[in-house]
Amino acid sequence: VPADRKRVRGPEESQCPLLFLPPAAQTAEPREPRAGRGNGEVRPLFARCGLVSQAKGSSYLEAGNTKILCSVYGPREPERRDEAGVRSGRLLCDLRLAPFSCGKRGAWIQGSGERDLSLALSESLHPAVCLHRYPRAQIEVNVMVLENDGSVLAHAVTCASMALADAGIEMYDVVLGSALRQDGGASLVDPDLAEERGNWLAGYEENRGGVTLSLLPNLNQVSGLHADGELRADTLSAAVRTCMESCHKLYPVVQQAILRAVKRKAPPPEK
Amino acid sequence: MAAGFKTAEPLEYHRSFLKENCRPDGRELGEFRPTTLNIGSIGTADGSAMVKIGNTTVICGIKAELSAPPSDAPDKGYIVPNVDLPPLCSSRFRPGPPGEQAQAASQFIADVIDGSKIIKKEDLCIEKSKLCWVLYCDIMCLDYDGNVLDACIITLLAALKNTQIPKVTINKETDLAEVDIEHKRHLQINKHPVSSSFAVFDDTVLIVDPTAEEESLATSVITAVVDEDDQLCAFHKPGGSSLSAEKLQDCITRSVTRHREVGKLIDKVLESTKASK
Amino acid sequence: MATVQVSEAEKVYIMHGVRDDLRVDGRGCEDYRHMEVETDVVSNTDGSAKVSLGHTDVLVGIKAEIGKPKPAVPNEGYVEFFVDCSANATPEFEGRGGEELGVELSNTLYKVFNNRHSLDLRSLCICPGEHCWVLYIDVLLLQCDGNLFDAMSVAIKAALFNTRIPKVQVSEDEEGGKEIELSDDPYDCMRLDVTNVPCIVTLSKIGHRHVVDATLQEKACSVASLLISITHKGLVTCVRKLGVGSLDPDSIFEMTEVRNTGTEHPVQTHTRTHTHTHTYIYISEHYSYFFI
Repeated sequence: VPADRKRVRGPEESQCPLLFLPPAAQTAEPREPRAGRGNGEVRPLFARCGLVSQAKGSSYLEAGNTKILCSVYGPREPERRDEAGVRSGRLLCDLRLAPFSCGKRGAWIQGSGERDLSLALSESLHPAVCLHRYPRAQIEVNVMVLENDGSVLAHAVTCASMALADAGIEMYDVVLGSALRQDGGASLVDPDLAEERGNWLAGYEENRGGVTLSLLPNLNQVSGLHADGELRADTLSAAVRTCMESCHKLYPVVQQAILRAVKRKAPPPEK
Repeated sequence: MAAGFKTAEPLEYHRSFLKENCRPDGRELGEFRPTTLNIGSIGTADGSAMVKIGNTTVICGIKAELSAPPSDAPDKGYIVPNVDLPPLCSSRFRPGPPGEQAQAASQFIADVIDGSKIIKKEDLCIEKSKLCWVLYCDIMCLDYDGNVLDACIITLLAALKNTQIPKVTINKETDLAEVDIEHKRHLQINKHPVSSSFAVFDDTVLIVDPTAEEESLATSVITAVVDEDDQLCAFHKPGGSSLSAEKLQDCITRSVTRHREVGKLIDKVLESTKASK
Repeated sequence: MATVQVSEAEKVYIMHGVRDDLRVDGRGCEDYRHMEVETDVVSNTDGSAKVSLGHTDVLVGIKAEIGKPKPAVPNEGYVEFFVDCSANATPEFEGRGGEELGVELSNTLYKVFNNRHSLDLRSLCICPGEHCWVLYIDVLLLQCDGNLFDAMSVAIKAALFNTRIPKVQVSEDEEGGKEIELSDDPYDCMRLDVTNVPCIVTLSKIGHRHVVDATLQEKACSVASLLISITHKGLVTCVRKLGVGSLDPDSIFEMTEVRNTGTEHPVQTHTRTHTHTHTYIYISEHYSYFFI
């Protein structure tokens, strides 16, 4: 492997200090019951549009400790020219986890997990954007996760659709994301990182898994659905329903943030 | 009308303001943009800070990891600063490996750390030639509106002051490290370097804290780093037009006053962060 | 993903056919194309299978190697997926195109197997914390005619069924050092339990209906598909919406519904074992369980 000369390099190898905890501290991990919220409750959401001055549109979203910033550039001339981009525009999504955003330090280079999230984000946003209105153009959506405390994809979708709206990109509807963690009989909405990982060793029970859903609330269309784990079909249907409900709970907050941004950009005429 | 003038003749537009000793955003020539600081907001980092200078926003997260000390300096640890200018912060940056500007900024920060000895690297050693700390200081620009270097150094300094590392002992029997997450300590901050950046217009007019637009129109950009003893730790003037010794002296004097202001700001924010906890 | 150009008239023709449950090639909406499964096709792997589904051809080879268990789960082995999109399959796989799709497909496979029952990873453990079997599952796409995911999952299941892992003996010497000995007898080997290995079913929404096993032409008419991986018990291990369109909630419920009664899925999954007579052995108990 050629040395990376474009960055300041550290030692060849270094380990996360959490690997060296005494064995007692590793096993006795206290599993707190959802810090005072019910299984069906989402974490309080903070959302603002238009924080990045250089971007066409931007948004910042905080759900519990999960912090996500998104900026949108374009429509502008595409870098890659091929036939697919002639009739309708191209939506480029790039999601990155900041190196300090997770318990264990992340790499500088985008990993396959991040690429997978970028693809999922792109698939979830695509149905909402009127790309046929932007022929021969590309719209770039850059998402940076500053702190990852679970439900990253769901919140990234919400955040990105707010930034698209802030950028004035024509859309059919906003996209709202919501996640759910099924742990046996309990459906935990908007799980944090500890809940999302669950207890892998206790995972021999059935009916455990995660679901992330993206919804266009006004058109009542599901633009993205991702699930893994092991779920019974009836649990899956119930999870999809619960996720749709919690998307609707987020809607007023998102609507208000977009409204605020619109009013600031074009203040209503004084009477 | 004004907007058209600005787009068509940006340099003339700026000159017309500078003639009147002020700048398009209403600042005086020697005035910094309002600087705000937020410390310790990233829970997953061992230390973090976010600084805003006007629109420019930079965040720094520090992660401490364990490693073997370098073979040529067995009693030292590592500090690994990297500046990232992601495509998120401005349309001028593309995705992919760090560009020239990010590389230059990373190297500059590394030089400031080494030159000023913010932290004694010996302080990061746990056991000679066996175990030491590596401080990964990832500095990321979230909004690029000029003068990132100043923002990078302030956020790095504040994040280092916020950083807490757990106690580590080496178990004599197993010869393995044991981490005690309950007992954490702050880092010994040895020096407090603060930088001030300047832009030169038409080889003569000196302005402080340039915005992205001013940077691109200026004939030269200068960054001076001073510490609390009013010592000059680093000076960065990548090419551009020449500058008289007198103007240079002027820059350094201003950097000293800027250092006082930033020092006060960091202390104030640290106090209030502690108080709220 | 590989695409073909389909004219508007052709699209209308296909969509009208789907509406009337009669597809261009004569299938109904819930019919698969003819599928052939051949196992033990690559001699230098520990398990292999080739699946042809219409003109889609997928080859899977599995290599078992001894590795170190992951620190988080010291008493389990693990599985690694790699999907190679051969440039022969379709010109679109040339250069970066194939690589991107390969990463996408292998990431999906990791999700499909991201649960405790698909494979008993504990059976891959040799010596907790020190040695375990690592299964490298390499998927090679030879020809692409739609429905890659389904073909790939059947091929993986067949290859896992075919996999023979040599038995090993762990002996301890006086100093407490451990030694691993491979059995001399090539027939003394371990087989994997593949009953719970899921199969992927991709449902493509065309007009108001959905079809299974869409060809490339049909895929061009569909704006969104739903990938569901399901075990013989009817447990869903992975769901993904594919494509640029959206789905209404009702069709999602309809698609995910597992009809336990009624007809078995008419996939004919045969395994041609490597015997002198090339007899077909019908291993329905292993493959034909997933219901639609």
